Amino acid sequence: MKKEEIRVAVLRIEGTNCEQESFDAFARLGVKPEFVHLKRLLGIDCTKEECRDIFDYHCLMIPGGFSAGDYVRAGAIFAARMKSMLKDKLAEYVKEGYPIIGVCNGFQVLIELGLLPGIDEVISEYPKACLMTNDSNRFECRPTLLKHENNGNCVFTGKIKKGEIRLIPSAHTEGKLMFPIDEQKRYVKMLEENDQIVFKYVNPKGEYAGYPWNPNGSVSNIAGICNLEGNVFGMMPHPERVFYRHQHPDWTRTGKLDEPGDGRDVFESVVEHLIKRF
Amino acid sequence: MGGGNGLEKKGRLFLKCDVPFELYDIDLQNANDEDLIYISKNMGLALSLKEMKRIKDYFSKKGRNPTDVELQALGQAWSEHSCYKSSKVPLKKYIYGIEEDKIVAREDAGVIEFDKDYYYVVALESHNHPSAVEPYGGAATGIGGIVRDVVCMGAQPVAFVDPLFFGPLDLPFSRVPKGTKHPRYLFKGVVDGIRDYGNRIGIPTVAGQVVFHNGYIGNCLVNVGCIGIMRKKNLVHSRAKAAGNIYVYVGGKTGRDGIHGVNFASEELTEESEEKSRSAVQVGDPITKEPLIHVTLECVEKGLLEGLKDFGGGGLSCVCGEMAHDAGFGAEIYLDEIPLKEEGMAPWEIWVSESQERMMFLVDERNLDEVLKICRRWDVFAVPIGKVIEERVTKVFYKNKKVLELDTVFQTGGPVYDEKERPYVFRKKRNEKDLLFDLPDLKKVFKKLLSSPNIASKDWVIRQYDHEVRGNTVIKPLQGVVGKESHGDAAVIKPLEGSFKGLAVTADVNPRLLEIDPYWGACSAVDEVCRNLVSVGAKPDSLADCLNFGNPEKPEVMGDFYETCRGLRDMAKALGLPFASGNVSFYNESAATAIPPTPELVGVGVVEDVRKCVTMDLKKEGNHLYLIGETKKELGGSEYTQILGLTGGVVPKTDVSLLKRSMETLLSLMEKGYIKSCHDVGEGGLAVTLAEMSIGGDVGIEVDIDGVAGGKLREDVALFSESNTRWVVEVEDKNMVEKNLRDKSIPYVYLGRVKGKSLRISMGDKLLISEDVDEVRRLWKEPIWHYMG
Repeated sequence: MKKEEIRVAVLRIEGTNCEQESFDAFARLGVKPEFVHLKRLLGIDCTKEECRDIFDYHCLMIPGGFSAGDYVRAGAIFAARMKSMLKDKLAEYVKEGYPIIGVCNGFQVLIELGLLPGIDEVISEYPKACLMTNDSNRFECRPTLLKHENNGNCVFTGKIKKGEIRLIPSAHTEGKLMFPIDEQKRYVKMLEENDQIVFKYVNPKGEYAGYPWNPNGSVSNIAGICNLEGNVFGMMPHPERVFYRHQHPDWTRTGKLDEPGDGRDVFESVVEHLIKRF
Repeated sequence: MGGGNGLEKKGRLFLKCDVPFELYDIDLQNANDEDLIYISKNMGLALSLKEMKRIKDYFSKKGRNPTDVELQALGQAWSEHSCYKSSKVPLKKYIYGIEEDKIVAREDAGVIEFDKDYYYVVALESHNHPSAVEPYGGAATGIGGIVRDVVCMGAQPVAFVDPLFFGPLDLPFSRVPKGTKHPRYLFKGVVDGIRDYGNRIGIPTVAGQVVFHNGYIGNCLVNVGCIGIMRKKNLVHSRAKAAGNIYVYVGGKTGRDGIHGVNFASEELTEESEEKSRSAVQVGDPITKEPLIHVTLECVEKGLLEGLKDFGGGGLSCVCGEMAHDAGFGAEIYLDEIPLKEEGMAPWEIWVSESQERMMFLVDERNLDEVLKICRRWDVFAVPIGKVIEERVTKVFYKNKKVLELDTVFQTGGPVYDEKERPYVFRKKRNEKDLLFDLPDLKKVFKKLLSSPNIASKDWVIRQYDHEVRGNTVIKPLQGVVGKESHGDAAVIKPLEGSFKGLAVTADVNPRLLEIDPYWGACSAVDEVCRNLVSVGAKPDSLADCLNFGNPEKPEVMGDFYETCRGLRDMAKALGLPFASGNVSFYNESAATAIPPTPELVGVGVVEDVRKCVTMDLKKEGNHLYLIGETKKELGGSEYTQILGLTGGVVPKTDVSLLKRSMETLLSLMEKGYIKSCHDVGEGGLAVTLAEMSIGGDVGIEVDIDGVAGGKLREDVALFSESNTRWVVEVEDKNMVEKNLRDKSIPYVYLGRVKGKSLRISMGDKLLISEDVDEVRRLWKEPIWHYMG
C-alpha cells in the first residue's frame, strides 16, 4: 500500500494525555492518524457517522497518560472497557498482522488486555505480567538509554540495528515489568528465545545497570517487549518525545539538529512495514 | 465555619423560613453593632462592621431582611481575596498601566501576542492557606484552579510553574508552632499534590523555585502558574454577549468541600485553622478535569461559546454575577439541576461552594444541543441552569422559591480601602552599613553553600514532575550531560508544530532581600527574571506577579506592599514589561510567624528560534570563561552571610540601563552563536555559579578572580557577593566576544578556562578553592535527598 493510505487510530479515553505528540509523530511521516475516543469504537454516545471500527485502521496506538486516573491499576480500566466489547475483534486484528503499539500507559493497557507478552495465545484471559510500582516508589521523569535487543521480530524497530543505544526518556510511576515470581526466569528465557525482548535499559557505557539508569527496577532491565508475532509492541519510555533532535535533553551539547531524534525510527519502522506488508 | 451556618445561637437574629430546605432570613434590621459583628463571625463571612453596616443599609432601603444565601454571596464577593480591597489603591498607583497596549485581555489570565496568528496566556495565583492546612489537596487544587484560568480564555495549557516556600527542613520539632505542620511534611505533601494532579492532566511542570526560610514556618506559600497558547480567533471573554445567553454548568459535582475558601484566605491562620477550615480546602479530581479541558477547547474551537469562566473563589455566586455584570446584564439562575456530591446541601452552600473541576459556559440557544453532545461524548456532566437577563439583578431560585435577589452593581461593588482605611508606614531601614567580619575559611564556606537547601539540587522535586509531556519542552529544567545535570536558568517550550518560535519561563524572588529592603528586593526580583530568561537566549516579554504578604491591617505590612509595588513598577516600566497577570495574597501569617514580603514573579520570554537556545552546562575544555557585569560589596541578604549567621548589610541594587544594555548584547551574541553556555549569577555568588556550570558539564575549570576583585574587594566578596545583572558565559572566540562587550560598554572580566576534572579558583597566586567536580556534585546533590528520602 501507499504511505498516504495508511490510517492510524490514536486511541483515547479520559486521562489519556500523550495523544497530541503521538498523533504528530505519525502525521509528520505523511500517514493519516486520527484521534479516536474509545466510545466511538464501542458505539456509545455517537452517531452512525462518528462510529469507528478497528478494521478502519492499519495500526492502533495507545498513547501514554493516566487513563481513568490509573486508579485500580495503571491501564486496567482502559483495558477492561476495551476488552468487554472488543476482545474477539482485537484478537482477529492481531492475527491479521495489523500492528498495535502502546507507550507508557499504553504498554500498561496492552499488558492488562492480555495482548502482551502474548507468548502462548494472541490474547490471554487474564494478564500474564504486570507493570509494578517503581522500586523508588516515585514518579520518575528522566532520560533513559535503551539498547535495542531485537533480532528483527518486532515490526516497530526494523530500522534500528541490534545493539544500538537510543536515548528515549521515561516518565512513569508503574514501569517495573514483572512476571509471576516463581516463573519469572522461565518467562524471561522464553521472551529471549522468541525474540520478544525489544529494548533494555543501559548506562552510558552500554552496560545493564541499576537505578537510575533502570528507572523502575524492571526484571532483566526490560524496557519494551513485543508479542510472539512481533506486531504488538509495548514500551515504557516515550519515543514520541524524541522525534526531533531538539527534543533531546542534551541537544545543546551534542548538536546534530539536522539528524532525526532517537525515537523517530519506531514510527518509521512500522510505516515501512505497513507499506511492504499490505 | 464550614459545614453549618452556625445559626443555633442568638436565635432571634436567624429566622428560619417556612420552606422544605434550610433557608434563613437574617434579621439585620433589628441587629445592633455587636450583633452585626456576631453575624459576620458566626456565618464565616469575614466582613468588617463597616461592611456589615453597608449591607444593612442596602436591605433597609429594600425594606426587607437578607437571606443567608444573600449574605454569604456578599461575604464572598467582598472578601479580600475576591475584591482586592486592600491592594487596589497601591496596585492602581504602581502596577496597572505599564505597557497596557501589549495586553490583549486581562481576565482570569493575561493574554499577549505570540505571533501573527497566536496569543500566549499567563496566569499566576497563590494557594497558600489551603496548602498550609492540607498540603496535598491544597497544592493539587491550586494546579486545578490555575489550569482552568488559562483554559477559560480559550487556550491550550502548555506549562506549569510552581514556586514553593517553606520553613527550614531541619527545623527541630520543638520549634514547630502549635497547629502547624513540619516543613518536611508540608514540602512532601505539596510536591505530591502537584505531581499527582499536574502529571495526571498531562501538562508539563517546567519551572519553579523552592525557598526555605524561617518566615514560612507558620505559613508556607504555594504559588502556581500556568502558560497557555491559543489561536487568536479562539479568544473567549469571561462575560455574556447578550440577554438570553444560557448558563451551562459543566464538569464535576458541587460539594461541601471548598466552602468559605476565599473568606478563609482573607484571615490569618490560627491554631484552630486545621480543625475549623479543613472544609475550606477543595478536593481535587484530575480525571474529571482532563476531559473538561478537552470539552472546553473543542467547544471553543467550534465557536460554540459566547462566554466562558471557570469556577474559582466564590463558586457559582461569583461566576454567575460577574459574567453578567461585566457585560451590563443580570442573571436568573435555578439551583435545582446542579449535581451535588451529597444530599441535604442548603442553597447557600450550593451557591458559594468552591468545588473543583467546574466551568461555566454561556451558550446561545441554537448551539446548546451541540455543546451538550460534545460533553456527553467525553462523559462530562453538563446542564443549563439559567439565563442572562437585561435587568442588572442576580436572581436565584431553589425549589420554586426565590432565595437571592441582589443588584449586580451592589454585589460586585465591594469596598476599596484607601490610605486612610489601610494606613501604611515604611519600616525603619535596618543596618544599611557594610557588614564587618573576619575572613572565614573559604573552602568550608563554599562547601556549606553548595549544600545549603536553598542552593542544593532540587532534582528530588523536578524528576517527580513530568516536565516533557506534550513533547514541547525543548530546554528542560535540568541541563547538562545525561545523568549529571544541573539546574537550568529557565525552561523553553516550543508550543507550535509548525514554528521554531519558543516561550521561555522562569520564576524568581529572593525574600531575604525584601526582608531587608522591599524596594531593592523587588527590583532584584525583576533583575533575576531578566537574567534567567536571557541566559537561555530569550527576550523578556511579560511578567506575572503573585504578591504574598502578611496582614494588611498592619501598617508596616502595607508599607512593605507599597515599597514592593514601587520597585516592581520602576523596573518593569523601564524595561517595558507589562504585568500580564497578577494575584495578591494577604494574611500570610500565623500567631508564630509572618512571612517576609514575597512578590513571586513569573517571567515569560520569547525565543525567535529555539535551535539557538543556550544552556548553562559547560561544553568543552579549552573554552574561555567571562564574568559579565560588575561585582560590588553587596552582601545583605546573601546566602553567604546567612550561612555565617549575619543579618542586615547592604542589599544589591540595580541599574536598569546597564541591565538593558547587557541583555541586548548577550542576546545578540547568542543569536550569532558565540555563547556556548551561560548562567546567571544568583544565590551563592560567582563561586556557586561556576560550580553549577561544572556540575552540569561534568568538567572542571581553572579561573583567576583577581580581575573581579580589582584590587578593591576582599576575596570572599568576589566569590560570594550576589550583585545583580551578572552572568558567567563560556565562549570559544575570545576576540569577537570581547570586541562586542567593549563596543557596548558592558563591564566584563576574563576568568579563565574550562579545564580538567576539578574546580580551581584562585586570586593571583593564592589558590582559594580546589575541589573535584564529582565531590562538588555530591555536596550539591545530596542534601534534599538526605531530608526527603
